[in-house]
Amino acid sequence: MSIGELIVDFFTSPGPGGVVVIIVIVLAAVIYTRLTRWIIQGGEEKTRYRKYR
Amino acid sequence: MRRERVFHPPNENEAVVMAPLRGVTVNDRTLWIILLGFIGLGIYAWVYQFVNGLGVTGMNRPVYWGVYLTNFVFFIGLAHSGTFISAILRLADAEWRKPLTRAAEAITLFSLPFGAVSIIIDMGRPERLLNMLIYGRFQSPLLWDLTAVSLYLFSSVVFFYLSLLPDIALCRDRLTDVPNWQRKMYRILALGWEGSSEQYHRLERVLDGMAIFMSLLVVTVHTVVSWVFGMTIQPGWHTTIIGPFFLLGAIFSGTSAVVIVLAILRRIYNLKDALPISLFNSLRKLLIVFALGWIYMMIAEYLSVFYGNIPEEMEVFWQKFTGEFASIFWLMTLLVFVIPLLIFIFRGKDSIGWMVTAAVLVNIGMWLERYVVIIPTETRPRLLYELVQGSYTPTWIEWAITISLFAGMILLYAVFTRFFPIVPLWETAESLEAKSEMDKARQRLFKFGAKFGSGFKSKSGD
Repeated sequence: MSIGELIVDFFTSPGPGGVVVIIVIVLAAVIYTRLTRWIIQGGEEKTRYRKYR
Repeated sequence: MRRERVFHPPNENEAVVMAPLRGVTVNDRTLWIILLGFIGLGIYAWVYQFVNGLGVTGMNRPVYWGVYLTNFVFFIGLAHSGTFISAILRLADAEWRKPLTRAAEAITLFSLPFGAVSIIIDMGRPERLLNMLIYGRFQSPLLWDLTAVSLYLFSSVVFFYLSLLPDIALCRDRLTDVPNWQRKMYRILALGWEGSSEQYHRLERVLDGMAIFMSLLVVTVHTVVSWVFGMTIQPGWHTTIIGPFFLLGAIFSGTSAVVIVLAILRRIYNLKDALPISLFNSLRKLLIVFALGWIYMMIAEYLSVFYGNIPEEMEVFWQKFTGEFASIFWLMTLLVFVIPLLIFIFRGKDSIGWMVTAAVLVNIGMWLERYVVIIPTETRPRLLYELVQGSYTPTWIEWAITISLFAGMILLYAVFTRFFPIVPLWETAESLEAKSEMDKARQRLFKFGAKFGSGFKSKSGD
């Protein structure tokens, strides 16, 4: 099967499109979760704002 | 012990912005019950439609898309307000946007689901929705739509939540006299936010990064929505300009919706200081630009069709200009462009009442615009237009469901404003030290971008 046929099959076969949708959403979920955790973890470091307590 | 060292940037409007969160009033409950009543009516109408089939609607052969698709495009368009105000203006460093970002983002968040739901309502067999994932073919614009709208909704929720995070922590620490469940909700949603400089720095970095992504997404989403129509070869839809035309209309109606919401919030919650009239003046300038851009797109589209003089295109064209849909078409033009533009230019400055009037007209007009884009083409489709001249009149089922969708959006918005600050307190904080820390954090973000930006500023003499 040539690359061209593979691309045509990807677009015209029932199934792969749905897989793409799921991959996109799951990937976004993973990235957003990691970003949120990364932001929150910033609170574990020493901060200059402690003087406000 | 964590609470003792949590930093919240001081904000002189904190008390007035937090006041609505301290209790639900009788008026609130009354409004919620009325809106729930409308939603109940919509659910009844949908169940009736589900049981009896789409024959109970005004849709027929060859009119397969009606009010539901109009609602879909309208709600998705409305959702562009948040991203435009928050993400695009954030990238442009427009400082004036800060007090209204959350109100705009909330419109995005609460209108998008109703756009998505409109598609499910339009399906005669909604239980087959999963088939789109199981048997989805990526050559179909419908699947592009599913991908783009899902990702946009998901990203909007995250963007909204992250920018809300410091204010949720503020609610957690300040609102100690609210019911237990409410305090627990704040505690869970705050995710242990401590307000450290590093957290603010990281939050700013993520929001700036997401703003770029969201800006790309907002263009993609409404273009893809327009391609559901544009990728067919139907007269009136198959134009290259349909993507940017839809996008501009969406941002226009979304920004108008922000004016309406801000005016209501300002009045009901007494936020005159937090939402000054200068915001409306800034939005007024944007809306003038959008109105002119919209009429430019419209002229470009219809003039090209007119000069092409292709028979099937002209059938739809004349239906809009002088035929069956002429009254809606010209009313739409008056409501979207003529009257609002006159108001914005001659009456809008320093007048919230006039601004709201114009914004309401724009949104009514924009709904009509979506209608007049979809239905005339459906009644005179390519190849069939000489044999069949379809007609379409929405039934009470469609109107009931439409009203319930709007009621649902208003209900979500109204409930949200009772539990979360509608003005971003941390972003509008006047604490110079905190602000400078945040600004430094922003400058550290994209070193290349900062360098490029400073070069541009120095050239412009800023």
